[in-house]
Amino acid sequence: MEQAELQEKIYEFMQKMKGKKKLKEKDIIKHISGETGEDKDVVKKALRAMIDEGRLMYSYGGGASSVEIPSEEYLREKGLIK
Amino acid sequence: MSGKYKTPMLDELEKGPWPSFVTEIKKAAKKSDMAEDELGQLEKSYNTKRGYWKHGGIVGVLGYGGGVIGRYSSLPEEFPGVAHFHTVRVNQPSGFFYTTKALREICDIWDKYGSGLTNLHGSTGDLVLLGTKTENLEAVFAELSSRGWDLGGSGSAMRTPSCCVGMARCEWANIDTMDLCNELTQYYQDQLHRPAFPYKFKIKISGCACDCVAAIARADLSIIGTWKDSIQINQDEVRKYAEAGLDIQKEIVDMCPTQCMYYNPEDKTLKIADAECNRCMHCIAKMTKALRPGKEKGATLLVGSKAPIVVGSLLSWVIVPFMKLTPPYDDLKELIDKMIEWWDDNAKPRERIGELIEAKGMRAFLEAIGVPPMPQQVKEPRKDPFFFWAESDFKK
Repeated sequence: MEQAELQEKIYEFMQKMKGKKKLKEKDIIKHISGETGEDKDVVKKALRAMIDEGRLMYSYGGGASSVEIPSEEYLREKGLIK
Repeated sequence: MSGKYKTPMLDELEKGPWPSFVTEIKKAAKKSDMAEDELGQLEKSYNTKRGYWKHGGIVGVLGYGGGVIGRYSSLPEEFPGVAHFHTVRVNQPSGFFYTTKALREICDIWDKYGSGLTNLHGSTGDLVLLGTKTENLEAVFAELSSRGWDLGGSGSAMRTPSCCVGMARCEWANIDTMDLCNELTQYYQDQLHRPAFPYKFKIKISGCACDCVAAIARADLSIIGTWKDSIQINQDEVRKYAEAGLDIQKEIVDMCPTQCMYYNPEDKTLKIADAECNRCMHCIAKMTKALRPGKEKGATLLVGSKAPIVVGSLLSWVIVPFMKLTPPYDDLKELIDKMIEWWDDNAKPRERIGELIEAKGMRAFLEAIGVPPMPQQVKEPRKDPFFFWAESDFKK
């Protein structure tokens, strides 16, 4: 599977889980790898690329870290949108 | 200081013989609105006996999941200077060594982008920069990284490893703590900057059991330098200590936790039953000229200490009594990877490795990391069996 396609799968999953459960990197990798049959390292690489470009972001709450879809405020602050 | 706030409560903390953090905040307040409002909010806290900080939130630098800890005032209209007051953790050099130039560089960056207040060092070991705004974070990070600095760990990640001054300053260092700390920091860069663990994981390294970085109380993995053979004794020096008035029986022998020493006051000689010695360093630290650690050096690995956040505090527990540690430390890295993998696979969110061992049992942990049960791992001898045998362990 192409990385872009894999990233779409990841994004769809993140949208589906938004507001329902705080997801760690590992939760996402495990789910997407299971769903697509792609190697976990490949999924991890795709996920990391999404975080690096600001499509996803690390978040922190209640003492633990998770991965989320960024808010507009965050994207604006990082200069990724105007 | 503009005198914006009267601070009679905080002023009390400037009295007495010790340096005062209030004095330092007041100095910073002369140049920084942030520090000034920090002073005002703190005075209010002392008056109302309430804290006004909100913790957490989504702040950080692009691509990193740690290194910035969000702090917001819950009274932003009253104290606008601390509406955002985020903490930046900077990865400290091994052993906390800096040139004055490096410290000036950090201070200049922080005067430019932050409150001017610092905290050397935080309990994790990082160089802590206190108080900046969200919009300054990327600029601070860019300036720091352009000068070779990097952020430390925070959140559910590998926290910045830290170590004592080791061989650079201490004759008792049984391992090269600074090299090991640097090596582990480099090896775990990904886990340090991208939080993927159930909760925090701290590694602290002390060169001997004096444990100057308090590894045994604060680290999920405490690496403490030790030796395997016998304590080196110089009987001439023992005699000199006795002649100089040291009560060796009372101060050394009677205070030995394993009672493994014998002092003969007739000929002023000291004997040690090294097989009984637990390498606590008490006698060596008291008689520095007479006693030295043995020659076969390495480290004891202990796992599981933590402060009481979710459940009670724990001290680290001996897992590997003795391990030779030589660069590039592949055996150690492999073992740590196994510990983390087991913890990551089994822990609930916000569960530290020590708590998981208590929940699942030492047997499960030792099996997962491939370390055999050993007598040195027994935490409370003659009190509780720590290792529960399974049916499959018995030959029928």
